[in-house]
Amino acid sequence: MLGRFDYERPTNLAEAVRLFAETPSAAILAGGTDLLVELRSGRHAPRLLVDVKRVDGLRRLDVGPRGDLTIGAAVSLNELLEHAATRWSFPGLAQAAASIATYQLRNRATVTGNLCNASPAADLAPALLVLGAAVGVAGPRGARVIPVAEFFAGVKRTTLRRGEIATEVRIPAPEPELRSAFLKQQRLRGHDLAVANVAGALAPSTGTLRLAFGSCAPTPILLAPIETKGMSAVAVGAAAAAATLAAASPISDVRASAEYRRAVLPVLVRRVVAELLGGGAT
Amino acid sequence: MNGRLETATVPAGMTLLEFLRGRLCLVGTKEGCGIGECGACTVLLDGKPVTACLVLAVEADGGAVDTIEGEARDGELSALQKAFIEAGAIQCGFCTPGMIMSARGLLRRIPNPTDDEIVEAMAGNLCRCTGYEAILEAVRVAAQAKAVPHAGQMVAGQSAGGSGSQGGRLSSPRVPGEGGGRG
Amino acid sequence: MAELRVVGQPVPREDAVDKVTGAARYTTDLALPGTLRAAILTSPHASARIVRIDTSAALAVPGVRAVLTGADLDIRLGLYLRDKRILARDVVRYQGEAVAAVAADTLDAAREACHLLRVEYQELPAVFDPRDARKPEAPLVHPDLATYDHMRGVFFPKAGTNIAHHQKVRKGDSAAALAASDVCLEVSFDNPPVQHVPMETHAAIAHALPGGRVEVWTSSQSPYTVRHLLALAFGMPHAAIRVHVPHVGGGFGGKAGLGLEPLAYVLSRACGGRPVEIAMTREEEFNTTPSRQGLYSTIRLGATRDGRLTALEAEYVWDAGAYADYGVNVGRAAAYSGAGPYALDHCSIDSYVVYTNKVYGTAYRGFGHLEVLWGVERAMDRMARALGLDPVEFRRRNLLREGATTITGEPFTNGHGKPIECLEAAAEAIGWGRRPSAPSAPHKVRGKGVAMLHKAPAMPTYTSCAAIVKLDEDGAADVLVSGVDYGQGTYTVLRQVAAEELGLPIDKVHITWECDTAMTPYDWQTVASRFAYMGGNAVIEACADCLCQLRAVAAGALGVPADGLVCRDGKVFPRQDPARGIAYKDLALGYTFPNGNSIGGPVIGHGRYIATGLTNLDPETGQGRPAQFWTYGAHAVEIEVDTETGEIEVLRIATALDAGKVLNPLLCRGQVVGGIVQGLGSAVLEGFRFDDKGRLLNPNFVDYKIPTAKDLPREIVPILLENPQPGGPYGARGVAEHPMISVPSAIGNALRDALGIEFESLPLSSERVLEKILVARAPRPDTP
Repeated sequence: MLGRFDYERPTNLAEAVRLFAETPSAAILAGGTDLLVELRSGRHAPRLLVDVKRVDGLRRLDVGPRGDLTIGAAVSLNELLEHAATRWSFPGLAQAAASIATYQLRNRATVTGNLCNASPAADLAPALLVLGAAVGVAGPRGARVIPVAEFFAGVKRTTLRRGEIATEVRIPAPEPELRSAFLKQQRLRGHDLAVANVAGALAPSTGTLRLAFGSCAPTPILLAPIETKGMSAVAVGAAAAAATLAAASPISDVRASAEYRRAVLPVLVRRVVAELLGGGAT
Repeated sequence: MNGRLETATVPAGMTLLEFLRGRLCLVGTKEGCGIGECGACTVLLDGKPVTACLVLAVEADGGAVDTIEGEARDGELSALQKAFIEAGAIQCGFCTPGMIMSARGLLRRIPNPTDDEIVEAMAGNLCRCTGYEAILEAVRVAAQAKAVPHAGQMVAGQSAGGSGSQGGRLSSPRVPGEGGGRG
Repeated sequence: MAELRVVGQPVPREDAVDKVTGAARYTTDLALPGTLRAAILTSPHASARIVRIDTSAALAVPGVRAVLTGADLDIRLGLYLRDKRILARDVVRYQGEAVAAVAADTLDAAREACHLLRVEYQELPAVFDPRDARKPEAPLVHPDLATYDHMRGVFFPKAGTNIAHHQKVRKGDSAAALAASDVCLEVSFDNPPVQHVPMETHAAIAHALPGGRVEVWTSSQSPYTVRHLLALAFGMPHAAIRVHVPHVGGGFGGKAGLGLEPLAYVLSRACGGRPVEIAMTREEEFNTTPSRQGLYSTIRLGATRDGRLTALEAEYVWDAGAYADYGVNVGRAAAYSGAGPYALDHCSIDSYVVYTNKVYGTAYRGFGHLEVLWGVERAMDRMARALGLDPVEFRRRNLLREGATTITGEPFTNGHGKPIECLEAAAEAIGWGRRPSAPSAPHKVRGKGVAMLHKAPAMPTYTSCAAIVKLDEDGAADVLVSGVDYGQGTYTVLRQVAAEELGLPIDKVHITWECDTAMTPYDWQTVASRFAYMGGNAVIEACADCLCQLRAVAAGALGVPADGLVCRDGKVFPRQDPARGIAYKDLALGYTFPNGNSIGGPVIGHGRYIATGLTNLDPETGQGRPAQFWTYGAHAVEIEVDTETGEIEVLRIATALDAGKVLNPLLCRGQVVGGIVQGLGSAVLEGFRFDDKGRLLNPNFVDYKIPTAKDLPREIVPILLENPQPGGPYGARGVAEHPMISVPSAIGNALRDALGIEFESLPLSSERVLEKILVARAPRPDTP
């Protein structure tokens, strides 16, 4: 048994928000792949789990008329991966999702949950940061939208307010021919949390490159946009690597030392840049 | 539950794994780690492989659960089970039920998977005995047995055992053309 | 030898049907009526005095039947050295040591009660590095070591120190030989402790019975050892203890000794004889149950300029952790094997097994040889390079060959197998001598490496086992043994042996899966790659006994002399007149004449095997005969290294073993491939990490990684040679542990080839590899 708690499975959002907001020490259950591990360990002992998987609308996975994408809070990583539009339009996001955990866990783990867990190593975070994504939120005082860039407050902490539920992730329409990529360093090829991860998105028309990285600071970090027009891929890679290292503040943990993270982070950045820019100048 | 309706009242904190083993006495599903990392407790929930240790029993309410106990039909082993036996994919056997359920989920989704798809589907199941090679081969053989009618004869007999004398890596020929079919 | 019908065939496992259907029952699947569940509380400290334990709140939890602490249990346990308690008593010696246990109606109640136990500790000085633990000022892990009972004449604990055992090997005059060598080198190496990671964690059920008896079901490799050690610990007659072993979900040595059985028994007693089940969580499996010992080694080699080894000196310092368990015997075995499979006239080895305040060590596949050969085989490569010789050629010149003696004085014969053939076959399979193929990217480099391996079963000189073969009414045969098939496949091999010997098809020979000390005959332990060898010989003898009985009855029935009768195809018939045969089914329970008269009786054969010719080793020199047989082998690998991230990919690994005779190629290949991948884990991934307080930092599958299906070498090439072993069944030797040994050494040697950098520490993680690359590339301080 994972503890003594009540379980509710609301079917509409208002009910979910009410249950979650009214109950002190309630937790949202979506995929459960992080929450249930916390419950088993005793580190977290909520009195109520609000299962949002059957809430109306939270299973949506919609492409808007201009190509924007909305991913409901009950959408699993595998559902995202099996969604053709995601793989065509946002390959970096697909690479990030595919790098997470195992096939079985991706049938449970949700896109939104990966963000809400607020791990510094969350693989979707950099991928969504470079796409300018935002989190749709419902709460007792209404709905709002939090850019992913403002979503993380620290290790395992988000800017969600008390009683608020993340209901979806919104990815704006991609710029024309947007390229994106994701790379992750881990201890083995099998499932592992990231030692470091890097995502990039390049809009060829403007030459603007966005880079984000994770597992090397208390939160995932989005770098300031880098203008690549007229620069070689090597030069962009070097500049991006320097900017990344300047923003990184890695720690040593059981997966890797801070020194190793500092050593591989620029490697990943250069490789992502090379993948996006190819060999030559843009 | 394996095609039968089961009715039960469970505490909210009970995992699907505890329910299967403790309530239904379906002890073929094993616990290896309790945190979803080893895959020993893999079952199909609504046709998809999940780790039963990280699913609450109540979450399966109204759903369909398939376990290893439902894999053989009317006492007849499935092609997948036969392939595991013939390929030497089993040693201690503790990971085997979860492995077979992962493979079952894969073959339901992609009847003729590529090698990469097989590895991706099976890599969430840890095995400390076999080194995986024979397990991956068994899934390959089972997929082919299903894809090619009458190939079941090949795995049912004892003579498929040439695997013991193969010198090198497993290199089943791939049928070209699939792989684009997913999603 | 007559042509074999069944032995040598790729017969699938008989138990596989139960395993693919979920019908195979492991210990925690058994569920006896009324079974209580138990949980343990473990120590958060590596070294502390237990001041008091308040059990009152725990006892008040509804459903709790018993709470036990070390204070309740004045019993010492141990395989070779009785240094351990069932639950820590007075002091804890490692983080993770069980301090108290609760049995309750449900596991949840037992766990809740454990959370409510209040333990007051007083922290004591601790020592974590075995090299520090040897210093005079080190805190003593066992201040009472002098008073502990131990196996005398074999193990030598040093009172007043942390040394649980010191094994010496002395041959020739190594100091003088080193001094006279053209080339000498000294290198130090280290290996971290690692975990076995069987997919089934340790579990046991005990049912205390009236009259001081107990029945035990356990996930053990060694039912009779469990029974024997329980008898010694509790002063019970052996017949009062009945040990069952159902299916076991992997062991790799970690389940070879005594585990949770004593605790389950005392809990069952405390609960008035209710059966009690206890199973480790995965975290407890890491924190509480024993691991593979860490090792620090220093090796000195001497050689002549023309490439002959002159001497080897080694000091092996084992990190035993808090208790001796099998660790002392690992230290012993790895000493008498501690120079690798080389012909050496001068050798001196000191192997120290040293207590520290960490989780304790035990047997693990390879029994110290992977650790020792990590150093020896890296050192051999360095010597080859120092001499300007190809590493394969250098080894070829120095490997054991007929006429040489081992470092304990055993003459090497052709019957030992052919280590040189193994080396050449493995090297050939990866194209040794040709430069590695072009790397797949500019930032990657490739390299090749080889390493030798050898190992003999480490077992007492008197190790024995027995087999019973009985015939069924339908003429089929049942084999009963008490070695455990926990995955390695020996039961299938024993069925093949029996089918071959009895003249039956394989589907007419069965083996009783559950071991039961009340029913199945004695076997010492299922360890050391000796079950197919010893059990196979016992089954051959038992079959001969059956055939003798069958012939005697058939002789009476046919009115012919027994020695003219042939047993084949399930029938007994006169050699000249096969048509006059009598089927086994008509003889199995006795033969009945047409008039009703009967002769004979149920056919039950009995066979035995005992280790032959082994001697205890001389305490001062280690000279003697420790090995029933040796198995030799070699790995050759080609790897690719990402010089920017430090990742290693194994492109190809060829493993050649001299198996003597491959009894079942399907299962033998399974052992080889499985062993290689397990060895790969030790090579590039695995190792315990502790903080400065001795707390294990990676006690779960998130933080401790083992290879997955994505982590396989691109190509695995098993090569099995068949130079027969005199005395082995059909000439076979054990090969179960060997594929794992020296995988790290071969990869380390390939890494040196690829990068020009020497690695001394395991694992060869990406981080460790990149760190050395960056150091090697950093500009030297004195260069501009």
